[in-house]
Amino acid sequence: MITFENIRYRLLAIDTLTLSPGITSVIGPNGSGKSTFLKICAGIALPESGTVFVDGRPPRDIAAGYVNEFPDRNIIFSSVKDELASPLRFCRTPCEETDRTVRACAGTMRITDLLDREMQELSGGEKVLVALATACINRPRVLVLDEYDSHLDASRCAWLQSALRVSGAEYIIRCTQQMETAAESNYLLYMEKGKVVHEGTPASVFSRLIDSPFYPISWRWPV
Amino acid sequence: MEVAGLKLVLSHVTAGYPRWSLAADCVFLPGIHLVSGDVGSGKSTLALMMAGLRTPESGTVIREGISQVMLSFQFPEFHVTGLTVAEECRSWGLLSDEIIRSAGIDVTGETPALSLSRGELKRLHLACVLARNYDLLLLDEPFSSLDCAEKEKICRKISSRSSGITVIFTHEQSVFPHVDHIWEILEGRLVDCGNMPGAIEHWQHAPALVKKLTLAGRTPHELTPEGIREAACRTQE
Repeated sequence: MITFENIRYRLLAIDTLTLSPGITSVIGPNGSGKSTFLKICAGIALPESGTVFVDGRPPRDIAAGYVNEFPDRNIIFSSVKDELASPLRFCRTPCEETDRTVRACAGTMRITDLLDREMQELSGGEKVLVALATACINRPRVLVLDEYDSHLDASRCAWLQSALRVSGAEYIIRCTQQMETAAESNYLLYMEKGKVVHEGTPASVFSRLIDSPFYPISWRWPV
Repeated sequence: MEVAGLKLVLSHVTAGYPRWSLAADCVFLPGIHLVSGDVGSGKSTLALMMAGLRTPESGTVIREGISQVMLSFQFPEFHVTGLTVAEECRSWGLLSDEIIRSAGIDVTGETPALSLSRGELKRLHLACVLARNYDLLLLDEPFSSLDCAEKEKICRKISSRSSGITVIFTHEQSVFPHVDHIWEILEGRLVDCGNMPGAIEHWQHAPALVKKLTLAGRTPHELTPEGIREAACRTQE
């Protein structure tokens, strides 16, 4: 379980929240605090007050993968190969094992054709795919993804949905503006002005958003 | 007001070789055009060539009668030249109070521009872009990171553009403005799907719901939320 108690950080105010293993999606208007919440989940930001525990330990003690909402802010190295290898090298993984893992991960994430490219010559969507692979390569327990889907085509998003489920990450916490993607989650949070206003299964949360633009269009108009 | 004679011509244009390739040989007339294509298929490269910011490897891009061009990059942070929201608005020659109101974001003129979330920054950027008219308006992923309510608002603004050539490059699957013409990149080539609504029949990247409606014999006449609702609620003839 990931437990949040009395969190205060910038505009974020969460009194109590518990997330179970699986995919949790976070939705809400721009500026509602989704990205700030994700940064706390990944241990990138520490709350000004309150506590977060992942199975009893603080997020910074847990292996976490994180994809920033600004694709370029994920990039540390100039080549795709170095970028993908970086989480392994930072843990002093032996070179041969790093090379092997990079190839295997690129294969699994279907980006082998990008391995010999430079990061800055990639398209927006390709940068996100490399960032996702880099976040997953060291098998994190917590995978935090900030709008990874906003630069990807529909078929890639659909494929990634199943790839994420088998990524090995126990907790996947992501925010998205694609309500059909949010609907395919184990748990859904709807945020407004720094607070979690609705939480529960996608069906129960969306039932409270039926009169808002956040209700999935394919649910509104079943064919 | 309809501006006569505006025309964007891509004549035997190629780009991307040898890493990947894109070929385009077509004409864009006034109206709202939608271009779809997979990740890395060359949508942003096409937008850069149309704007004159990138030279094709072969062929020519001709902007007939077009004097004002605006390209909105898919990453709003690439546009930022001011340290604060007010400076950023001034760099566009616009008043920050009006733009903040139009973007509907909870910031002041003194807020550092790059401290905004990506969705807020996109809203600020689009408010600046859509505050003026251009003969050729190129929007690369305009809806990415916008919340659902804002997507609908931006779509209404785009739909109300009554003149000029507007080209939207997007992966969007749910919310669209009024669209006149659809294109898609397939196997390295820009393919003309045709005018709406006939274009939908040929549109391989059509969103799942649009495809389902078409298969059910209820092809939407419009991609707007109203058009989708009309098709979904249409009584079978």
